[in-house]
Amino acid sequence: MLNQKIDRRDLLVAGAGLALAGCGVGNSGSGSKKETEKVVKAKPDGDLVYFNWAEYLDPALIKKFEKRYGVKVRQSNFDSMSSMMAKLRSGNRYDVIFPDQSFAPKLIAANQLLKIDKEQLKNYDNVWKFFHDPAYDKGAEHTVPYGLYATGILWNEEKVSDMTGSWADLFKTDAKGKIYMLDDFQECLGMANLRHGFDLSTTNPDEIDKSKEMLIDQKPLLRGYSTDDIQNMINGNAWIHHGWNGDVVNLRNQVKNPEAYRFEKCKEGIPVGSDTMAIPANAQHPGTALLFIDFMLEPENASQNVAYFGYPMAVTGAEAAFAKIAKDDPAVNITVEDVQNGQQFASLTGEDKALWDRAWTEVKAA
Amino acid sequence: MSEQRFATTLLVPGGLWLLLCFAVPLALVLAASFGSTDDLGNTIYGWHPENYEQAFDPLFVPVLLRSVGYAVATVALCLLIGYPVAYYIARYGGRWKHMLIALVVLPFFVNYLVRTYAWVALLADEGLVNGAITNVGVRDTGIKFLNTDFAVIGGLVYGYLAFMILPIYAAIDRMDQALVEAGKDLYGTPWNTFRHVTWPATFQGVLAGAVLVFLPAVGDFISAQLLGGPGTYMVGNLIQQQFLGADNWPFGAALTTLLLVFLSFWMVLYLRSAARASREAAV
Repeated sequence: MLNQKIDRRDLLVAGAGLALAGCGVGNSGSGSKKETEKVVKAKPDGDLVYFNWAEYLDPALIKKFEKRYGVKVRQSNFDSMSSMMAKLRSGNRYDVIFPDQSFAPKLIAANQLLKIDKEQLKNYDNVWKFFHDPAYDKGAEHTVPYGLYATGILWNEEKVSDMTGSWADLFKTDAKGKIYMLDDFQECLGMANLRHGFDLSTTNPDEIDKSKEMLIDQKPLLRGYSTDDIQNMINGNAWIHHGWNGDVVNLRNQVKNPEAYRFEKCKEGIPVGSDTMAIPANAQHPGTALLFIDFMLEPENASQNVAYFGYPMAVTGAEAAFAKIAKDDPAVNITVEDVQNGQQFASLTGEDKALWDRAWTEVKAA
Repeated sequence: MSEQRFATTLLVPGGLWLLLCFAVPLALVLAASFGSTDDLGNTIYGWHPENYEQAFDPLFVPVLLRSVGYAVATVALCLLIGYPVAYYIARYGGRWKHMLIALVVLPFFVNYLVRTYAWVALLADEGLVNGAITNVGVRDTGIKFLNTDFAVIGGLVYGYLAFMILPIYAAIDRMDQALVEAGKDLYGTPWNTFRHVTWPATFQGVLAGAVLVFLPAVGDFISAQLLGGPGTYMVGNLIQQQFLGADNWPFGAALTTLLLVFLSFWMVLYLRSAARASREAAV
């Protein structure tokens, strides 16, 4: 042992190997088209590596799926689309992910999503016809719709009154220090764009500049930026929260006074969208992933999930479950018409993305 | 095999570890800091020094000043809390000494992020602490602890206090007890003895603690992220935003590199001062 000489060349080789591996991780960007066209059968081929927003799928359904197919679901969560992208970029491998409609096209363009063979999904016919050919994924080749959402304002009626149904409610001076904005560059700049009467996804630098100023002027009123609207409302830090329609339903399930928590869709226009289920091209268990997606499209499971997370799903047979939730509160409902007519976030790239990023950094740093 | 050769061989595991887990990642950060990004946010290596130009935007000056301000306040508070604790343990800990030091280190068994989340639950407007305050009737309404400058500094102090206590403890423990007695023999009051004997003798420990607390506190983002509000953005948050929010790793890497240079400056100052002190001690 003592006589063993460590060769300097061995060290260099080992080091270089690791360095190259490191570069490889940094470059795991665009895959090949062929990689996305693998033939996959919907049958269990291992545990499901699941990557979604937190509290965005009924845990009871995860248990049911595990039991039915004899696999484990290994869960992890992201807190923004950007952090999902960062995790994918750093080489983590997942079997099922939930990109929204503005990020799905980027992943598709970069050959990062597996083509989903609809023949393998027994329940695919349950998906609303509109989503068989959505603008974000021609022919729905790579994605299956998941939750439909709208961005608006949540508030606690025991603490604030005189809500006006306008984005101006996020600037209410009598709730100073109790207002949160979503910690999301598109949602925040998008809100300011709508309030100004600009296009939701404007890339006009003057307009973005005005929206940026509006957000900076709003800062003294804010308690913080956060996507955790549910917890912030529950622990009383927030009276008014820029947030998503379904979260108010989820939130009502967790408090003693559910009727106090309200939601409004603002009259200047709202961002509406759909999240999707997709399988990364480098998934190690795509067969299980197909089973999982199909499982979520079963009307019974979709209904159960809708009742849990409070978002409508574009699944025929789950409408009743949502109607039950929305009965007292049409504000939280989203119909297929909303999705068709509402403003949707554009998939920003290049200079446009840089413009938005810079404005957002200025808002946060101010 | 000579003894020296054997000693050199012993350096191999540590050297390898440093090479793979420090030098290589650092080189990747440097390489990324001159890169650009594609539409997916992937880094494309290249030559784009403008990432650094962007970092010198006056926009970021308040962010840097705020970070340094928080870090200085953190060092001051850690010193105020840490010195007496270290002093007590070193001088009066007796047979409990090692046990007490273990208790100081104990919270580190739980991840900093998790511990910070616990503070969120404790200090929320309708959290446990405010619940107690309103129930006991001290005040009708709770106190707004969270999302303030104080909460961020408090989080930093909580997170890094042990880094202050340990070096000071070592310095006091090492100090010759006879020096204090000599001070008293010369009719020094307790305060004068402390000022002219104990403090100078343990100052290197204080300096080490200050550096160990200051450096990570400047770059911290967890405290401001979880306990801070809209006006507590730190350099660490700015960097994290580039990596996880803006998909702009090259700019984030450039900021990281500049922060490293800034922190290294203080590190070098400290090392020189420590070297001078040990030279003087040798004389």
